[in-house]
Parts: sequence; C-alpha cells; structure tokens
Amino acid sequence: MPDAVEAATVQPPPTPFFLPAGRRGRRFAIHHAPARRAARSAIVYLHPLAEEMNKSRRMAALAARALAADGHAVLQVDLYGCGDSEGDFAEAGWDDWVDDALAAMRWLQQSAPAAPVFWGLRAGCLVAAQAACAAPAPSALALWQPPLDGRTVLQQFLRVGAAARFGAGTVKEYLAEARQSLAGGREVEIAGYRLGRRLADGIEASRLAPCAGIRRVHWFELSMRPEAALPPASTAAIAAWTDAGVAVDAQLIAGPAFWQSAEIVDVPALVAATVHGLGDGDPA
Amino acid sequence: MMDLSAEVIRTLDDVLGLGGRSGTFSRATPLLGAVPELDSMAVVALMAALEDRLGVSFPDDEVDGATFATVGSLVDFVAARAGA
Repeated sequence: MPDAVEAATVQPPPTPFFLPAGRRGRRFAIHHAPARRAARSAIVYLHPLAEEMNKSRRMAALAARALAADGHAVLQVDLYGCGDSEGDFAEAGWDDWVDDALAAMRWLQQSAPAAPVFWGLRAGCLVAAQAACAAPAPSALALWQPPLDGRTVLQQFLRVGAAARFGAGTVKEYLAEARQSLAGGREVEIAGYRLGRRLADGIEASRLAPCAGIRRVHWFELSMRPEAALPPASTAAIAAWTDAGVAVDAQLIAGPAFWQSAEIVDVPALVAATVHGLGDGDPA
Repeated sequence: MMDLSAEVIRTLDDVLGLGGRSGTFSRATPLLGAVPELDSMAVVALMAALEDRLGVSFPDDEVDGATFATVGSLVDFVAARAGA
C-alpha cells in the first residue's frame, strides 16, 4: 500500500559487507535497504547447496532487489564455508548454517525492526525453517522449491557425485562407497565440493516441519509443464502445515528450474509472485 | 513406444534447456559427453524429471554411464521400467 507521506525515494544500491559471526569468522552478506523509511519486513535469504547456489545467484539478486524496491529490508548471507564467506565447506555443520541465519536476522533487525521472514531456495528452505523455529520472535517463511526432507537433498547431492564419475561403475556402487566414507569420518568429493560427515548428517536429518515460531508460509514451486499441479507430496505437506494452524499460500509458477539449468535463466514471474505474496496483507 | 520416446526427448529439452534443439534428436544421438548441457547436475535433474513424469524409477544399482550414452539407450532404459 503506497504511503503518500513517503516521497518516492531513489532505491539505495545493494551493499556488500562482511557480517561478524563471532568466533566462527565472518560471513559475506549483501544488504538491500528498503526503498522507504520504515521497512515493512526484514527478510533473510538462505541460498541452496553447492552449484545450485552459483546458478541461482542472479535470480536471488533480482528478487532481493525487487523486494527492497517494494519496501522490505533484505539480507543475503553466504553460509559458513560457502560462496565468499570464511570457513571451509568440508568443515561446515548444519547447525552452523542455522546459527548464521539467526545472526543475519539479528543484524538486519537492528536497522529494520520489522516482521522477520526467512526466505530460502531449495536446501536453503530447510535452513530457513529451522532458523524460524529457533528465532526469538514469530516469523514467516518464503520457500522457493522447498524439499520436504533433507534425505532427498543429500541423496540428490550424492547422485551428482555419482554422475560426475560415470564410467567407473554404477550409481549404487558410488553411493555405497560415499556413505561408507562419510560414516568413517572421511570427506567425499562431489563435483568439486568436499562434503564432510557433519554436514551430510545435518542435511540428512533436516525436515520441513511446522513449529510454534512459524505463523505464515509462502510456498512457491516451478514447473515447465503447462498442465502441471503441485506434486502430491507437496500438497500433503501443505495440508499438514495448515492443520497445524499455519497460514500457507502456495503457488505453482511456470518456469525452468533455474538453480540447475546449464545457462543462467531468469524467471520474472517468480520474482513478481514473491513480491506480491510478501507484500500481501498481514506481514506475519 | 513412439510416445515414450517423444516424452523422453521433450524432457531432455526441458531439463537441459535446449530450446527445441532436441527436434533433431534420433535414437542414435549421443548424449553423455556430447551434449554440453548434460553435466552431472543435469543427469540427476533428468532422472528426477523422468521419474516424476513417466513414473519410471532409476534404481541406483542399474544406472551407470551407459544408460545415458545415447537417446536410444535412455529410451530403452525408460521403456523397460516405465508405467508405475
């Protein structure tokens, strides 16, 4: 809702900086200040795993910028061992990532003491959900293509490792070796990323589950097929959230899986739907 | 079988973002190592999409590089397992 008193301000440019994360080093972050005096919400963006993070950078930036233009304060943070943050991916733990999300929200709330929203893409959705459940105040979630379960995420990530080694045996043989290595505390190399046991265990144990701290969920999935509907598993999960008293608005957007496409693609419809969804009505 | 082949090729086009290039694909068209968009991430995405669209499952003990060698090898793999 436009505020007549707020003059149309020139949107400040995104500001990259390093966010202190205590004794665990610093995290690279990008702050998108809202294009109005008082932010309508404080949104922390949690990126997906490994190559998906790289392939989705542009879409994340476009959406962050569009949300800021619509009056939200947005902070993108590179999790421990990822992107330009300090730390070694091989030494990362799932709990570190949840802590990073919470630290990012605390930082953002200093300048934007508004309704908190944890926004994630793919595995980032699982970090977002866990952070929202642990946050001191009730939050909303914005989920782009949420996996329902960390087990699928780990399985897909291990399969990428298998596919990168095609020719040297079946996927099963690779997966068995990989799991044995991880169980023995040894890292597994997956298409250039070194996966350690701590992170693998943490990913595998994560779930998308309702809790008292989550009031509202904005759920977005993409499909290339015009006749598609949300997958039955997602519909069932959404029903469980609704039964638990959470307000969920779910949408299927026509567009490619930009986080895994060979060429960087934009999905403007997803940006628009996200801005519209987060700008709608009750912020929490 | 014709429909299945078309569906596999359409899925390839969608997942790999070929923008219709698959129109020239035949059974003999080499995939793994020949189509640059088919990297390890795309292989996993392709399996997930075929599982989802065609009800086929890609059991880990049956999948290896040969599965994705050509359009024909992939269609044959799917044909032998499709229709859940």
